[in-house]
Amino acid sequence: MLLYRYNNTLRHSHGGQMFRHIDPRSPTPLYAQIANRLRVAVATGELAPGASLPSVRQLAAEVRVNPATVVQAYRELERDGIVDSRQGAGTFVRELAEPKRAAERQREAVRLVRSLLAEASALGLTADDLGQAWKRESGGGGR
Amino acid sequence: MSYAIETHGLRYRASRTFEIRDLDLAVREGAIYGFLGPNGAGKTTTIQLLLGQLRPHGGAIAVLGRRVPKDLPEILAEAGYVPERPHLYPYLSVREAIRYHAAFYRSFDAAYADELLGNFRLPGDQRLSRLSKGEMGKLHMLLVLAQRPRLLVLDEPTDGLDPVVRRDVLSALLAFCSQRAATVFISSHLVHELERVCDWVGLLDLGRLVAEMPMEAFKNGIKRIRLGRAPAATDERPFELVSRDAGAGGETWVVRGWQPAMVQWFSGAGGEIREVEDLDLEDGFVELLRAARSRGA
Repeated sequence: MLLYRYNNTLRHSHGGQMFRHIDPRSPTPLYAQIANRLRVAVATGELAPGASLPSVRQLAAEVRVNPATVVQAYRELERDGIVDSRQGAGTFVRELAEPKRAAERQREAVRLVRSLLAEASALGLTADDLGQAWKRESGGGGR
Repeated sequence: MSYAIETHGLRYRASRTFEIRDLDLAVREGAIYGFLGPNGAGKTTTIQLLLGQLRPHGGAIAVLGRRVPKDLPEILAEAGYVPERPHLYPYLSVREAIRYHAAFYRSFDAAYADELLGNFRLPGDQRLSRLSKGEMGKLHMLLVLAQRPRLLVLDEPTDGLDPVVRRDVLSALLAFCSQRAATVFISSHLVHELERVCDWVGLLDLGRLVAEMPMEAFKNGIKRIRLGRAPAATDERPFELVSRDAGAGGETWVVRGWQPAMVQWFSGAGGEIREVEDLDLEDGFVELLRAARSRGA
């Protein structure tokens, strides 16, 4: 649900949803979390080539972060060749070759597995425990 | 580097038992500066000193590059201020209150005020005496943003507001900041709220500035370290030791200015680390306060 609209050109009404996992208490800096979320969205096709990112103003207000944080996230994505920034027009998703998108998806998958392993190890769960659960949940779970 | 707010050796004795002491604040232009501290730390008193509502007993204050109190009229024309207990005439309607406020500021932007009125869904014809607390909170933010100030000084702007209104108010503030090179000085004891918004923090306790640093330094530089074995006693450390506690499972240190490579210092000094724990703003805040108080005691 959108908090409220600043103007009616807001195309990314899912912005608030998309960034709901942004966690200021995480040791990962906020700009990196935002950049990462967008990177994944591009890699999975959630954000198509040519799609425009919300303006700094919109995203800062929606996610409630310092505008400088959004600027930093966009700058990182631009540096990595994920988006193009056009003066006055906005920031746009670039056409990425499939291998690059696959690499980004893989990167995110590795990140997820790492955090799962870290949490499991902190709780004292073994790889075996995880393996069994994996089989059960990914097999006949039907969800 | 230019500063929107700068104080040197600021001193103010409020009573026999409470004073602001040797306060050196440096708020960079363009920063969103969180002025944190527990209730009674002196946050409101400091803000009143900055804006000339109280006269200091010592020290110097500069706001927007001008001197307080000498240049107050110029400063106040460019500064937006939401006090802890703002006053508006209750018999005015929302629109009347906006026009009344506008009369005091040359920079007031009526079109922007209208836009915010719509965004906040405030009832323009309602009397202020009939507004809810949340609506009043939004109105105060509207008035101060529509001034289009270079500096916003907000004293606990979201205190007592419900989470939905808090979000709306903060979102409007951030939308404003992303379009203007304004500086925001925001005091709060609600640490979580400021954690994602501020890029600088100042921590006040018992009238003294305990710490002032960029948020990143605060979040990355302060760690809680659980030790299996404490290193040999030494005063030479590459970081600042904020506190140390002896617990059942070994000592726990809280350190400031931490960098990952410093792990090696511990093994070099015969210590053993079990865990390096990240502290969020609230934990860090509590630890710094505790350390400052035990030093002061």
